[in-house]
Amino acid sequence: MPKKKEVLLKIRNLKIQGYSDEQWVDIIKGVDLTLHRGEVMGLIGESGAGKSTIGAGAMGYARDGTRISEGSIEFDGMELTTATEAERRALRGSRIAYVAQSAAASFNPAHKIIDQHTEGPLQYRLQKRMEAQEDAMDLYERLRLPNPKEIGFRYPHQVSGGQLQRAMTAMAMSCRPDLIIFDEPTTALDVTTQIEVLAAIRDIVEQFNTAAIYITHDLAVVAQMADTIKVLLKGSEVEEASTEEMLSNPKEEYTKSLWAVRSFESPQKHRPKDGVPLISVKNVDASYSAGPKILNDVSFDIYAGMTVAVVGESGSGKSTTARCITGLLPPSKGEILFKGTPFPPDYRNRSKDQLRQCQMIYQMADTALNPKVRISEIIGRPAAFYSGLRGAALKNRVDELLDLIELEPSQYYNRYPPELSGGQKQRIGIARALAAEPTFIVCDEVTSALDQLVAEGILRLLDRLQDELDLAYMFITHDLATVRSIADEVVVMQHGRVVEQGPKDEMFTPPHDPYTDLLLSSVPEMDPNWLTTLLEERGVDNIGDAATAKL
Amino acid sequence: MSYFVIGYYALLLAVSCLAAFYNRRSVFLLAFSLTLVSFVLGIVGGVGALKAVAICAGLLGLTAMVSYAFREFLIALAPIETAKELRTAPLTAAFGMFVIFTYAIAGIFAPWIAPFGEAEVISSAFAPADENMLLGADQLGRDMFSRLVFGARNSVGLALTATIAAFVLGAGAGLLAATKGGWFDQFMGRFADVIMSIPSLIFALLMLSIFGPTTPVIIIAVAIIYAPRVFRLTRAVAGNVVVMDYIEAAKLRGEGTGYLIRREILPNSMAPLIAEFGLEFCFVFLLVAGLSFLGLGIQPPTADWGSMVRENATLISFGDITPLIPAAAIALLTVGVNFVVDWMLHRSSGLKE
Repeated sequence: MPKKKEVLLKIRNLKIQGYSDEQWVDIIKGVDLTLHRGEVMGLIGESGAGKSTIGAGAMGYARDGTRISEGSIEFDGMELTTATEAERRALRGSRIAYVAQSAAASFNPAHKIIDQHTEGPLQYRLQKRMEAQEDAMDLYERLRLPNPKEIGFRYPHQVSGGQLQRAMTAMAMSCRPDLIIFDEPTTALDVTTQIEVLAAIRDIVEQFNTAAIYITHDLAVVAQMADTIKVLLKGSEVEEASTEEMLSNPKEEYTKSLWAVRSFESPQKHRPKDGVPLISVKNVDASYSAGPKILNDVSFDIYAGMTVAVVGESGSGKSTTARCITGLLPPSKGEILFKGTPFPPDYRNRSKDQLRQCQMIYQMADTALNPKVRISEIIGRPAAFYSGLRGAALKNRVDELLDLIELEPSQYYNRYPPELSGGQKQRIGIARALAAEPTFIVCDEVTSALDQLVAEGILRLLDRLQDELDLAYMFITHDLATVRSIADEVVVMQHGRVVEQGPKDEMFTPPHDPYTDLLLSSVPEMDPNWLTTLLEERGVDNIGDAATAKL
Repeated sequence: MSYFVIGYYALLLAVSCLAAFYNRRSVFLLAFSLTLVSFVLGIVGGVGALKAVAICAGLLGLTAMVSYAFREFLIALAPIETAKELRTAPLTAAFGMFVIFTYAIAGIFAPWIAPFGEAEVISSAFAPADENMLLGADQLGRDMFSRLVFGARNSVGLALTATIAAFVLGAGAGLLAATKGGWFDQFMGRFADVIMSIPSLIFALLMLSIFGPTTPVIIIAVAIIYAPRVFRLTRAVAGNVVVMDYIEAAKLRGEGTGYLIRREILPNSMAPLIAEFGLEFCFVFLLVAGLSFLGLGIQPPTADWGSMVRENATLISFGDITPLIPAAAIALLTVGVNFVVDWMLHRSSGLKE
């Protein structure tokens, strides 16, 4: 791509410090970055690598509790570190724009989308209100939002997540900035929705020749978007290269390990010929108090020692199915069988032993562990509660469980959850489930809040535990890569119905149900031309929401 | 022009110039605006006004020094975790803690600190202060200072007990309502509304005139008046905690309500409750003092700050400040507690400058 033109953003030896434990700690340890006009740079790394901090730093902005301590940030010849706050503010919105991760949380729910869109041009007196509105509609059309003339006059809650993310990109474009910073714009979206946002962002950045910094932890996504990729680790740069070179020929060990993450695959197990399923969901309907039906005639079986992955986009009823199985939401019709005998529908009516059989691991380890309780009690309580262990026996059991999840017992025994990292918390969540000695565990999006390397560690751990303890998993996820690596059987759900189910190898080979096909083809791949090829194959109107609607 | 006036202006100007030279904007603005105000004050009020300003500044400085030293003292004594928290305390909070500490010492060791008994008549009525009596005598000739010290024990003790009772009632009901939900929650909520709809002072007066003004009745009446507020706060705070996944996990494990409340919910709603405790304590204290002032609180001859204000109120017409001393004691404690509570609220709300 012949884009090596003048330099737009030049960051040299940037150091940003954060305040914690009564002292300033380096978060960014001297990063250099050069961005030319019209160039898209991908910043990738695990959480805590400092991607977002650098993104904010590129605007000359340090978040609360952080400060830019050293280095220079030069935007189009202007030094931002020494500029006054007023000068920096004049740049933001007009020449540098920012697209946040969660559009739903970043739009003001009290104002119409188009009013928020036109705020920038009006503030900087670039356009009159009517002109700005015309321009907004034009941008909405370019971003292929449905009803571009009308959609801006809705409130944010009346628009879907993918559309809102595109509206936010349009808003960032409103003053035709030279640089846009995308901070994980698609992380919170489903794969099918993600693809249309990606296509829209790429289009518009190309049309206006805008430079962009694209922050993400998803390699496959960054491969589609960026011209160059910079890999960060703990506030330092690991390496930087053009996208093709980075993908085909990474130099550093860390980069290679990032690339290799998707390689884990557990051998597929098959159902025993004759046997009673451990958990059997039979024709279950469910709804939340008098609301519409969330689940509609859902049936599937889970056999002992096997992993059944339940996939589908958000709102498809995956988690509701899990709530029916655990008894939090009694089904309005149908029943849950455990080894052939029906489970009482409400968890309050289940016996201690029945409750013990079926444990949960949650998506957000932050909210799943009580922050005010020590690790020893979090894990020890189920053990004491179900098996009546006391004193030294209980301590031994907790140590054993900590060993099992590969954490050093003496080091973690007396700590509190907020002192642990995301991956460690998730391991504690697993240990808590194991402490009950269950036969069946519901894993609700257990890896989706984690970085890829950490997530892979968790998957390997779960797989190992399954082999050692003969556990059955119901694995709820929207990430098909996870399904590929750990599942034995797959259940695809859409709008509260089971669309398709079967063993993994069958599910990943055609022919598919059209919805499964859409899901599978929407998963980004490492090939930098994947999005282009897909768009050529399908046409721009046949991806994302539009395609889902056609089914 | 006395030496005092020359020194006064010289000091202020020196501070202003030094502050300006070393780029301390806020210090400079404070010092120099004080200088400008002093010019006017000096012309209007003469040397006396300047002396008053100097004394006020000196007192403020002394208070700040005491607060600073007291905070350092606490940090030095406290275990590491607590010390870390204490370091975040502003000087106002340290001052509040110092006040509370002083009152606690006075209340606990009252019989040893006070030179005379609380009901002991040692002099003529309204005798002025002398070397025997630090603050003079009250309307029956009892030592004002001794009664003040005993009052710390009686008034503060009563208010503390009543607040604790209100919290046990309110927080218990609130936690239970948040955990149980459904009709129980509704019932408790409406019941709290009913109590809150009765004007608090009238309710207290009613209770006290029916059952007689004894200490247990005061405590129970005050607890009932303040429990609904605590109930509302606790229910709201606990309502945010019960939706967490770890509560769901505990419920699925089959834990009973007692365990859920004690181990899972209460530790996570503690911070706002402690802050609220400080606030409510002030209100209860003022209510009890108000009741005493009306003659329905703690009965004579027991020393109590509210009734001490009332009994000596006549002296105010003679320009004597004696009745204001117990009132000042009430005000100081209220201010001190509020300083500490402000700091705690600030911390628990997670606000950063």
